[in-house]
Formats: sequence, C-alpha cells, structure tokens
Amino acid sequence: MSKKLLSIRNLKVNIEDKEILKGLDLNIGHGEIHIIMGPNGGGKSTLAYTLMGHPRYEITDGEIKFEDQLINDLSADKKAKKGIFLSFQYPEEIPGVTVEEFLRTAKSSITGEQQRIIPFRKLLKEKMELLEMKEEYANRYLNLGFSGGEKKKNEILQMSILEPKLAILDETDSGLDVDAIRIVAEGVKRLHNENNSVLVITHYHKLLDYLEPDFVHILLDGKIVKTGGIELAKEIDKKGYENIRQEFANK
Amino acid sequence: MERKKTFIDDIDRGIYDIKNEFTYKYKAEKGLTPDIIIEISKEKNEPQWMTDFRLKSLEIYNSKPMPTWGADLSDLNLDEIITYIRPNADMKTRWEDVPEEIKDTFERLGLPQAERESLAGVGAQYDSEVVYHNIRQELVDQGVIYTDMETALRDYEDVIKEYFMKLVPPTDHKFAALHGAVWSGGSFVYVPEGVNVDIPLQSYFRLNAPGAGQFEHTLIIVEKGAFLHFIEGCSAPKYKVNNLHAGCVELYVKENARLRYSTIENWSKNMYNLNTKRCVVDKNGSIEWVSGSFGSRVSMLYPMSILRGEGAKSEFTGITFASKGQYLDTGTKVVHAAPYTTSTVNSKSISKDGGHAFYRGLLKVAPNAHNCKATISCESLMLDNDSKSDTLPIISLDNDNIDIGHEAKIGRISDEAIFYLMSRGISEEEAKAMIVRGFVEPITKELPLEYAVELNNLINIELEGSIG
Amino acid sequence: MVKWKRIGMDLTFPNVPKYTKDFINDMGQPLNIKIYEPSDDISPQGFLGLGNEFLEHIDNNYNSGFTLHVRRRDKIREPIRVEYIMNDENPTVVDKNIIKVDEDSEVTVIIDYKTISDTKAFHNGITKVYAKENSIVNIIKIQRMNESSFNFDSNVAIVEGRGKVNWISVELGSSISGANYTTFLDGEASEGYLSSIYFGDGNRKMDISYSMIHRGPRSISNIDTKGVLMNEARKVFRGNLDFKKGARRAKGNEEEYVILLDPKVKSDSIPGLFCEEDDVEGNHAASAGQLDKNKLFYLMSRGLSERDAKKLIVEASFRPIIDSIPSDELREEINLEVERRFANV
Repeated sequence: MSKKLLSIRNLKVNIEDKEILKGLDLNIGHGEIHIIMGPNGGGKSTLAYTLMGHPRYEITDGEIKFEDQLINDLSADKKAKKGIFLSFQYPEEIPGVTVEEFLRTAKSSITGEQQRIIPFRKLLKEKMELLEMKEEYANRYLNLGFSGGEKKKNEILQMSILEPKLAILDETDSGLDVDAIRIVAEGVKRLHNENNSVLVITHYHKLLDYLEPDFVHILLDGKIVKTGGIELAKEIDKKGYENIRQEFANK
Repeated sequence: MERKKTFIDDIDRGIYDIKNEFTYKYKAEKGLTPDIIIEISKEKNEPQWMTDFRLKSLEIYNSKPMPTWGADLSDLNLDEIITYIRPNADMKTRWEDVPEEIKDTFERLGLPQAERESLAGVGAQYDSEVVYHNIRQELVDQGVIYTDMETALRDYEDVIKEYFMKLVPPTDHKFAALHGAVWSGGSFVYVPEGVNVDIPLQSYFRLNAPGAGQFEHTLIIVEKGAFLHFIEGCSAPKYKVNNLHAGCVELYVKENARLRYSTIENWSKNMYNLNTKRCVVDKNGSIEWVSGSFGSRVSMLYPMSILRGEGAKSEFTGITFASKGQYLDTGTKVVHAAPYTTSTVNSKSISKDGGHAFYRGLLKVAPNAHNCKATISCESLMLDNDSKSDTLPIISLDNDNIDIGHEAKIGRISDEAIFYLMSRGISEEEAKAMIVRGFVEPITKELPLEYAVELNNLINIELEGSIG
Repeated sequence: MVKWKRIGMDLTFPNVPKYTKDFINDMGQPLNIKIYEPSDDISPQGFLGLGNEFLEHIDNNYNSGFTLHVRRRDKIREPIRVEYIMNDENPTVVDKNIIKVDEDSEVTVIIDYKTISDTKAFHNGITKVYAKENSIVNIIKIQRMNESSFNFDSNVAIVEGRGKVNWISVELGSSISGANYTTFLDGEASEGYLSSIYFGDGNRKMDISYSMIHRGPRSISNIDTKGVLMNEARKVFRGNLDFKKGARRAKGNEEEYVILLDPKVKSDSIPGLFCEEDDVEGNHAASAGQLDKNKLFYLMSRGLSERDAKKLIVEASFRPIIDSIPSDELREEINLEVERRFANV
C-alpha cells in the first residue's frame, strides 16, 4: 500500500465534557477499504462526526492528519474541500433547497469552478440513473419527505458527484432492504479506486457481503481494540462483541 | 457551531436609494385643514360628491384617536407630512414623453424593461400622481380598463361612486379616514366578465419627496369568471424625515373569478407603511395574496379577505423580513362569511440585527359559515438574539361545523443543517444563506421571475456581511 | 367593576362574608400546612393573573387559604387535598394559597372548588407556587361549581434551576369562569408543564389564559389543552409562550384541541409566541372542529348510539389528563361529571 491518506493518533474527543473517544489510533492508506464495527455507544459516530469537523465534538488530545496535513481544527467545508465526505446516518432535511441546486453549489465550491447548469444537470442525471433514483428527485427539496432508503441513496448520490478521496459511511446500510444495499454498495465500489479510500462504520455486516474490506477494526469504549481482516467481521457476526470486550477488559 | 455576534450597517440599497432633485408643480401646506382638502379637490377637478367625501373623511380623521396597539407611532408627525404633491408632469401614455428625471428613476428600477418583456400593462406613480400608464391594445379591445384613479373618476364616475371606499370605509380607522380625505393617484382596473388577462398588470409606486405622504387608491373589479394578476411594487429613497404611506386597496372578486394580488414592498427605512387592503369574494371566486414586506421603518399591514359567497377561497402567502431599526407588524385577516368557504395562510418571517417581526392575524368564522375550512401556518426565523419575533393569530369561531388548524413555529437556523451543508464543501455563510433562501422559497416560487430574482437579491443584500 | 369584552361579562365584586368551613382535608398527614398568614406571602414580579382588580380584591378581602412549606429533601408521597366547599352558609370563597417547596423536595397538592347546593357561589382566589432548585411540585386544580356560580382563579409559579412544576387543571363548572396560570421559568433547566381539560356546556362562559415565561437557559415548557364546547357555551383561550432574552436553548410547546358539538358555541383562541432570543424552539398547534366523522361512523357501525359514540371520543381525548390525577375517588367523580354533562346531548 502506498503512503497514508488518513492517520489518526491518540485521538481524544469530548461531547459536552464527556469523553467519548479515549485515545484512538487509525491509519488509512490510499485505495483501502476499512470497516469499523462496534456496539452502540462505543464512539463510532463520534469518530465520523469528528473526522468531518462537527463543532459539538471537541478534540482534547491527539491529531488527525489528512495527506500529511494536520486537520484537527478545520471546519467541515474546508475538510470537504480537502476530499473528505461523510454519508450521514440521519441526513438533515432542508426545505426549499432542491437537490440539484444544493449539489451544484457544493460541486462548484469543492472544485472551485462554477458548474454550468446544463452539463451539471446531465452529470446528475447519469449518476442518478446508476443509483436507480427517479429523475424527479433532482427537483425535490433536500431530503424532505424522503423515505429512509431514499435519504441514504441521496447520500451516495452526493458522494458520487463530489468524488471525495475519503468516503466515510456512517451506518449507511441501516434500515435498507437488500436491493438498496446492493445499489449503495455498487455506488461505493464505483468511487473506490487506487487513490480513493472508504471507511465504513456499521454494527452489522450486511454491506460487507458486497465490499471487500482490507481491514476490519473493532471500536469499543472509545478505542480501536482489535484489527483484522474480513474473518474478524465474521467472528463478530457469530459471537457478538462480548468475547472481545472480555479480552479487552482482561488486558 | 460558534455563535458570533452579527453586525450590519445600514445597507446601501443601490438604485432604491437614488434621490432626485425635483421641482413641484403644486405643494400643499403642511398639516390638514378643510381649506387644503377643498383646494386639493379643486386642483383635481373632482365632482362635488368626492369633495364632500373628502371633507367628511377629514372630520372622521380628526375625531379618531391614534391606534394604541401594535407599532409606536409617536414619531409620526402627521401635521408635518405633506399631503399632496404633484410632480411636474402630466399623465403620459408613451414612455418617451415622461420627463427625464422621472423616467431615469423608473429606468433604474427596471420598470419599462419589465413592461417590454412580460407585462400586460404598467402604471407608475411618482409621489402623489400617476405619471405613466399603459396597457396592451388587445386587452383594451376586450374591454379591460387599466387607468389611474383620477382618469377613472372622470371617465367612469358611476362605477367609482358605487365602489369607492365601500369596502374600506373612512370610519374603519384613523388612517383609512386620512386616506379618504387626501387620497391621490393609484390605479383602477376593470376586467369584464369571462376575460382572462393572462399576463400580469403592474403598478409601481415611488415616493420621492422628503416628508411626504403617499395615499394612492387601488380599485380592482374582476367580473364573473374573469382572471387577473396584479403586481404592486413600492419604493422610496431614504430621507432624514419620516414619510407616510397610507394607501388603500379595494378588490372585488365576483362569482367564479380569480384575482392574484402580488406586492413587493421595499419602502426606505424611514417609511411608515400603514396601508389598508381588503378584498371581497363572491361565490366560488378566489383571491390569492402574495406579499413580501422588506422595507419601511414601521409597517402595519393586514390584507383582509371577506369570503361572502359560498365556496369562495382565499390564499395568503407572505414573507416579512425585519432588519435593523424595523418594526414590521404584518399578517392577514380572513372572514368566513358564507358556507363552504376555504382559506389558507402561509406566513414566514425573518428577523435580524435588532429587527422586530410581528405576525398578527385574524381568522373569523361567522355563525352561518358552516362547512368551512381554514389552515394557518406561521414560521419565524431568528438570525440573532438582538432581534425579536412575535406571533399572535386570533382565531374566532362562531359555529361548529368547521375544520380549523393552526401551526406556529419559531427558532433559529439549525446547527445540524448548517453542518450538513458545510460537510459538502459549502461555506458557513453560503450554507446559512441557502437555508434562508429555502425558507422563503414557498413565496419566491409564487412570484413572477423578475420579482423572484429581486426578492432573492434583497435577501442576499440583507444577509451580506451580517451572518457568518 | 370589571368588563370582559370577549366573553361578554360585567362583574361587580360581591361583599365577602366569613368562610367558616374547614377546607384543609386533614387526612392525618402533613403538619406543615397552616392557615394563610400575610407574612408568608410572595409577590412575583410581572404577574398579572386575571387582572389587577382581581388580585386587589383578594388582597383586601381574602377569607380563606393556606400556606404549605415543604422543607429541603422532604418528599411527600401522599397528595395533599384541599377542598373549598361552597353552600348556602358559605357561598363565597376568596382564597390565598402559598406553596413553598425547598430544594430537592417533592409535593403534590389537589385543590378542589365545588358547590354542594344550588346557591349562587362566588370564588376569586390565588395560588402561588415557589419551586426551588431541583424540586418537583404537582398542583391539581379542579373546578366543578354549579351552573349559576362565578369562578375566578389566578395561579402563578416561580421555578428555579432544575425545578419542575406540573399543573393539571380541570375546568368543569360555573356560569362564568376565568382561569389564569402563569409560570415563570427563571432557573436554568427549569420545567413547567400544564395539562388541562375544559368542558363548556349550557351558557357557560370561560376565559382561560396560560403563560409560560422562559427566562432561564434550557428551560422547558409544555401546554396541552383539550376542550369541548356544546350548547351555547363560549370560550376564550389564550396561550402564551414567551422567550425572554437569555433563555438560550429553551424549548416550549403548546397545543390546544377543541371539539365543537353545537352550532351555537363560540370558540376564540389567541395563541401567542413571543421571542427575544434566537436559540430557542417554540411550537404551537391548535385545531378546532367537530368530531372526526369517520371515527363516529366506525363506532356507530358497531352499534353505539350517536350520543354514546360522541361521549366515547370526548372521554378518550380527556382520558390521559384525567388519568394523571392521583386519586381514584376524584378520577371517578370527574368521569361521572363528564358523563352527566352528556346526558342532554
């Protein structure tokens, strides 16, 4: 594997003075697919939000480097411009702003080039077809009245338009039926190449049937306690987290 | 999200703030006396009944107290407001003939261009008098009348006599009485039975003289089965002295007719906008109000729909944007006076920089108005905590066979929504502006394109440098 | 004389004779309750109640009332019951009640106003609650005076940090009834809740006003009102959520649902949402109309008479609030009262 794309060292994060991440380490190389698994409340979503720069998550220690640059204090838009993307577990609804208007603004901002209406509309249409999304969604208000599955597809649509270097998928598979998971997984695969990396956060492994992860990490009580390959995910699926929790507790 | 204080200077509104040096043909002395009223009426060559009407209104005006609710009007010195100013121009129907200074102002406001491109007719009022009126020939051929009120009073005296200030009588309130006494200018529109005016008619009011009052009267009659979209735009440059706008709008929507009445109000921020608008709707007719209030120092404006025919409908879509130094008390009144009538109210307000937006509304259902339906929705957005936002809808029901729903919401832009947009590479300011534009989208989409663009520009001007 | 335009009332205050009945229901419980003394009084700033005339009338004429002081960390399990009973000998109650609840303590007080004869009774009273930090105060007020009586009731609470005041109001009686509940959420994370039902029948006129005044950061309020109007009853409902500057992250909710059962009822609602602070969430919803026809049809298709079906739906809407009254006996009495009112539908 090539040089590191993302490197996290001893990351400690507080939410409203409560420590959630307690010294987390993680490295992601170019072109790699990583899975983070773990029980609820272990800090998975906190990691995702912190990487994206949510102001409510306070980094108290440690460092996050993206392409060798320290990005601890960057705001979300700056991180997006660097090539980080977060697929939200619960995407926000924004009334009055259409999907198309929003994505054209975002794409213009990230690329630094004003996106012209006609070519952009064409691009959007292509990407939507790949995700089996109805064309009318382009003119609907962002996530407003979307079903759970439509929201998740819309997240993947945004990802495929913005073409990030690192895509973080926070529980993107939850609440989706089998067909939708396949469509989402295909979308992720299309983005993934030797430069673009993917970090999948999940607490079960439906999505893993479609993706071939390079690494599987277990996040427990604010730290990554175990790293392995796909076999680790399978083990969890069978036995749950209890063994690992005990193993970790005994250390 | 880090909370920052917001500051904004008094914005240069560009073309809206252009003042014109002007010479006046006639200027009434400050303050109001019967002599002045008689003089105004004489100057306009009005029939005796109108002179009498004015004098009667003056009496009512003098006997009514200032309203004690809503806005603080103590800074408004009515004796100082000059009541009647006629610009140095007679009414023209060819744009080329309008005097240069007036033409310049309207050109800069984009008015004749609007006419060329998308309007069925245009009227322009400068201070007290209409200076320009034009209407497409094919409409004239169908019997549509669109003219200034003075001409209407001369050419259609019977119609005016039948309808003038019958919906808004001078006894209604102090400023209605003032209007009755000193009204000047405005538009008269008559759409004959079954005629569909498929492109909008537009009227533009501009108050240029310092310390003046504008009291234009708009009277629209849409006959059975006819349709009209009327657009009203208002502006004035800013002077140090307070100006007053106490216009009056009376709309008659007959059986099966439909009228859409759109207003973009961007008076300068020393204006007291105390306008009265009222519409009466007959059987199965409908009135649609689209109202944007951006300007003025004080506004008290509550367009009212009286649904007196069975199955009559009213729709109100309004946005109020109160910024520094502004108190905008706006809303709508609906009276369900007949069975099977329906109404919807959709109001949005934004307050920022110490601005105060107040939604005040009335929904009244008369004892006989069974099977009527009404929904009211009020949403308010606060952009900082120097501002204020209040909502007070009064719902008054006198019968049981009805279906009434009301919803109000108040709050700021959600931090999570901002973060979501920022995570897609959009800056914080742009994210906020986007959310605000989305918030008012239900209104912008109701407007003709050039007005929607103007409204978005106004929002951008208002937001620029103020958030982030 | 007081005039209320909206419900059409002219009132001249009557002379106030002595009240000779026992009103504190001494069930062998709290000893820290005593007859009201002026030295116990608190006067919340900015509180108007039903209006100055009413408050002054109480201050000058009160003939009953109590003071309850719950000491720190005292959690009183059993509800305290106070009954103001009006009859021919005691037709007038002007009461002044003070409830002070110290830090970390808890109390429930039920105050019941009722007539036991056909006498034309008059009630004008005030209940003041002072809930200190981290305390919980539940006040249940029941008004079931007869159809010729007048009822005026002002209520106010001051709530300090993390304190909680729950009001439950059941308005069933009187010919004219005015009720005001004002809650000052002064402390950080203070909470104020008000659940109420009102039943207007005959010629009853009601003026109901609720205010939640948010001053403390992260304060929470909720107003939940269910009402029924029938015959020629008239009602004005005013519900205010008022977010004062400094009430950062406060949340307030207000709902009023009224069911209208007859063409001659009059129902006015004036919900107010006032806001000087941007970082708040305020919501208000109201609806008014007849009973859901589909529901009615469904019930009638199962053999219920129209009257019974209507009663069932109304009772269902009242149920959650009635069920929260911590006394089996009172719940039963209220249910019977609602039942009785339906007799003439």
